[in-house]
Amino acid sequence: MPILSLQNVRKDYSTDGQLVRALDGVSLDVEAGQFVALVGRSGCGKSTLLNLAGAMDFPTSGSVLLDGVATSSLKDAELTRLRREKVGFIFQSFQLLHTLTVLGNVELPLLLAGRANAREAAHERLRWVELEALGERYPHQLSGGQMQRVGIARALVHGPKLLLADEPTGNLDTTTGNVILELLRRLSREKNTATVMATHSAEAAALADVMVHLRDGKIENVERR
Amino acid sequence: MALGASEAIVGRLLLFYRLMVRPLFAEPVRTALTVLAIALGVAVVLAIDLAGFAAAASFRSSMETLAGDNDYEIVATGGVPESVVGKLAQLPYSLRISARMEDYGAIDGNRTFPLLGLDLVAEAQNHADAASAFPLANPEDALKYLGDDESIWVGQSLGYHVGDRVSLLINDRMREYIVRGVFPDDGGNAAAIVMDLAAAQRSLGRTGHVDRILVKVPEKDDGGSSHVASAAEWEQRIRGVKSEGESVTGGQAGAISAGILPESVELRTAGTGTDENRKMLAAFRWNLKLLSYIALVVGAFLIYNTISVSVVRRRAEIGIVRALGASRATVLTAFIGEAASLGLVGSLIGLPLGRVMASGAVKLMSATVEALYVSSRPGAIALGADSIAQALIVGVGVAVASAYSPAREASLVAPIEAMARGRREYIARVHEMRDLVIAIALAICALAASRAPAVAGKPLFGYLATLFVIAASALAMPAVVDLTTRLLTRALGATLGVEASLASQSLSASLRRTSVLVGALSTAIAMMTAVGIMVGSFRETVQLWMNDQVPADLYVRAAGVPAADRHPSLTLELADKIARLPGVAAIDRLRDYEISYESMPAGLASVDLDTRRMYHKGDFLSGRATGEVLNELRGASAVIVSEPFANKHHVGRGDSITLSLGGGKAAFRVVDIYYDYSSERGTVVMDRATALKYLPDPAPSSLAVYISPDASLSDVRHEIENAASAGDHRILTFSNRDLRTQALVIFDRTFAITYALEAVAVLVAVIGVAGALLAVVIDRRRELGLLRFLGAASWQIRKLILVEAGLLGLLATLAGVIQGFALSLILVFVINKQSFGWTIRFHWPVAILLGALTVVYIATVLAGLYPASVAIRLKPIEVVHEE
Repeated sequence: MPILSLQNVRKDYSTDGQLVRALDGVSLDVEAGQFVALVGRSGCGKSTLLNLAGAMDFPTSGSVLLDGVATSSLKDAELTRLRREKVGFIFQSFQLLHTLTVLGNVELPLLLAGRANAREAAHERLRWVELEALGERYPHQLSGGQMQRVGIARALVHGPKLLLADEPTGNLDTTTGNVILELLRRLSREKNTATVMATHSAEAAALADVMVHLRDGKIENVERR
Repeated sequence: MALGASEAIVGRLLLFYRLMVRPLFAEPVRTALTVLAIALGVAVVLAIDLAGFAAAASFRSSMETLAGDNDYEIVATGGVPESVVGKLAQLPYSLRISARMEDYGAIDGNRTFPLLGLDLVAEAQNHADAASAFPLANPEDALKYLGDDESIWVGQSLGYHVGDRVSLLINDRMREYIVRGVFPDDGGNAAAIVMDLAAAQRSLGRTGHVDRILVKVPEKDDGGSSHVASAAEWEQRIRGVKSEGESVTGGQAGAISAGILPESVELRTAGTGTDENRKMLAAFRWNLKLLSYIALVVGAFLIYNTISVSVVRRRAEIGIVRALGASRATVLTAFIGEAASLGLVGSLIGLPLGRVMASGAVKLMSATVEALYVSSRPGAIALGADSIAQALIVGVGVAVASAYSPAREASLVAPIEAMARGRREYIARVHEMRDLVIAIALAICALAASRAPAVAGKPLFGYLATLFVIAASALAMPAVVDLTTRLLTRALGATLGVEASLASQSLSASLRRTSVLVGALSTAIAMMTAVGIMVGSFRETVQLWMNDQVPADLYVRAAGVPAADRHPSLTLELADKIARLPGVAAIDRLRDYEISYESMPAGLASVDLDTRRMYHKGDFLSGRATGEVLNELRGASAVIVSEPFANKHHVGRGDSITLSLGGGKAAFRVVDIYYDYSSERGTVVMDRATALKYLPDPAPSSLAVYISPDASLSDVRHEIENAASAGDHRILTFSNRDLRTQALVIFDRTFAITYALEAVAVLVAVIGVAGALLAVVIDRRRELGLLRFLGAASWQIRKLILVEAGLLGLLATLAGVIQGFALSLILVFVINKQSFGWTIRFHWPVAILLGALTVVYIATVLAGLYPASVAIRLKPIEVVHEE
């Protein structure tokens, strides 16, 4: 069973009374441990697809199945639970909380979920991203690459089956970006976590097992390696 | 050219609207809350000002009713001998002289009005010659009913017609009178009951004396003389003292050489009594007025916060406009203008609100003035141009003053810095240590100021000390908040979960905003606590004092509504009859007079020394025993004075005071000072036997009745009431318990307005918390959205915001109680003492304070509900990706 399954998904938005179709008949399956890159121009629907995949939004029609569960059938509390257990998010601008230390940021999803041993898990994830020495620092004391490593550690802290990354290297220089991509790919394989990454970068996309080309809300092409 | 200048102005205004005003509409709820806070602050200040003016500033003593236009008045404790009127009439000057009797009558025993005895013969003559302003419709009626004891004339507002019969309680006698005429009384402002002078003297039992003689002097001397006499000359002439170079002819010489006015009779400028009363009310009005500014002070914190938030949010925007050519002055003006706009709108809303509040306030203030000071009739509430201007200046002024600091900070933003760093990375600088040092210095200044004496009877340094305490607390707040949140974060996380920990960290991270909010709320709580402690201490002190000073089993006085300066008397025979009733062990015949001492109204009381010594426990400042002090009063020219009297007139034990009594002036030695909380005006007490030597009217104002140990209170009370009704006397009897309860009812009513002012200040602060939390939600929407991405449920977001509100409330309550304690010490031992002269024993009204603080705390947490619902409705995808 795929971890993520989009079946004939359509997503419409209304902007100033105008209907905008962000996704149009998209179907896609992502298996455990698979690394999928979503590529396409701005506005092609990459972020919309990630939001639907992360149960942050509902499709207008069609269905999104997360680990076999249709997100449309769930209420807010159930969606929250699903996200807590199954999904990890990585953002282009890192989205760390500046009031919390590195450790505080990483353990936050576990604390919000009321899980035990949050601190130990956070230490371990920081070890995965090779930042265990910087746990007590605050985000403003880190470089961009370090901040994104923290973002990755945080996304993995609760052992999600699906990792959603929106332009994870968009705010980084090429060298740092490549290091981050390598890290992401390695962890994805080691932990058997499915990863869906939206990117503009052809270099980044080249690392993926599957490259999905989106255009005007539709899947134009799927390349498998 | 002119067109160009006006275009430039229009352009600037348009720009101001687009950049500063329009963003306010983008957050209508928060803007509305800020405006409401200012409106409430302005409304309270305006209401107290209008009510104070109506209740006291436009105050005319009830006895000024129908007084007309006069130059002088002649008064004396116990009344002016009637013979003075005849002597004045013989003076060789065209004086207009009007003798008056002045007292109170209660229609049906409950509606009290001034009762005036006027010379109806003079009134019946040409009205212009009459000294009073009594508009007699049918002058012939005055002569027709002259000397008729049943005839009265009443003000139109009393609702009677000619021929109506009216039951009137005068002293302890209820009699029926016939209305002979109705006169216009300015919608009740000049409402009174008028009788013929002689009839009034008989009704009041004061024949041979008049209460006041009004004198109008001619503009020029008679006989075509061009000499215009000075005020001093007229005073000499009226006193009957020959001035230098002045000659008088035969017939008048006798009168003059003998002196017309006895030594004890006071000749003073007309209206002096009203001026004295106004002066006496000054402290009361001052304190209330200052208290009314608390809500506005709290509002100032909130304006500061609103503009600070505005500046922090728009740092990038400021950088852009600076880069595009805006000067620092332009930026400063823009933010000051934003605050002024909020202040103006708030003030405009506050105007009608204040007018409505004034109606309630004037009732409360008038009741206090009547109960504690003097009979008066509140004037109309007039919302004049000066009041409107004052409200606008106060509202806009406070808004601008409190916005200056953040506006200046905005003007110092460097274009590159703001554009490069952006709002999120900007952390408002807070100089914790520097501010803490200044706070400590200010606290020392507060301590020094609290030890300084009053200035011209006003506790100016006491007020300054309170300002120092408020400022010191505000400056110490960042350090306190920082320390507390650091200490609390871990504990909160462990006990209330990660949301509480996040809330605490968030407060600590936005230290300046948190400090301002806590400062605003804690100021309101501090004032509430301080006033609560002061009033609670005062109440406790009064209760303890009553245990000693209200020892009699029963108290008897003439029926009617009481007031501080109304002392209707009881018939002496009734008092004697009560003394002889079975079950009555002793009575104390208390007599009260109104006197003027050092141009201030005061009370003079006489007591039965033997009874007092037997039953009273002394409560003297010296700590001496009752018997010892009272022994010194017996048969001697000696008095004891109340603490407020001693403080007001700087009189100490062993000093001598001179009182004008009866026919002359007499010196009395002050043998001690006693604690007294029944009157703020101050009282002089002497032996009844001594008083009777100067003021021979033996009728008591009230009786304190002590019953035998074996007698039943209800039986004796019944006997007294029977004795009174048998003699057709209208009296009221109060048991010891009744009197105490009544005293506390008056006490609580007196301070009701204080509580109302506190409530508004707290409401303003809670509104501020709601507005500020809304700003927090809007500013932290990205963070709140991110938490949803990281797995936070809706209830967790709500909990986070509510915990923030709860923490703000907790910090403010803790800081407020500490600050309030310091302020209460200043209120109790400095401001109260210097304003009113009372020694108050410090007391914590724990139950009331806990109740009030709990209500405020719950209100603060509830203030977070709306911001929390806004936080829940945020769309995570939009807020996380919008930057």
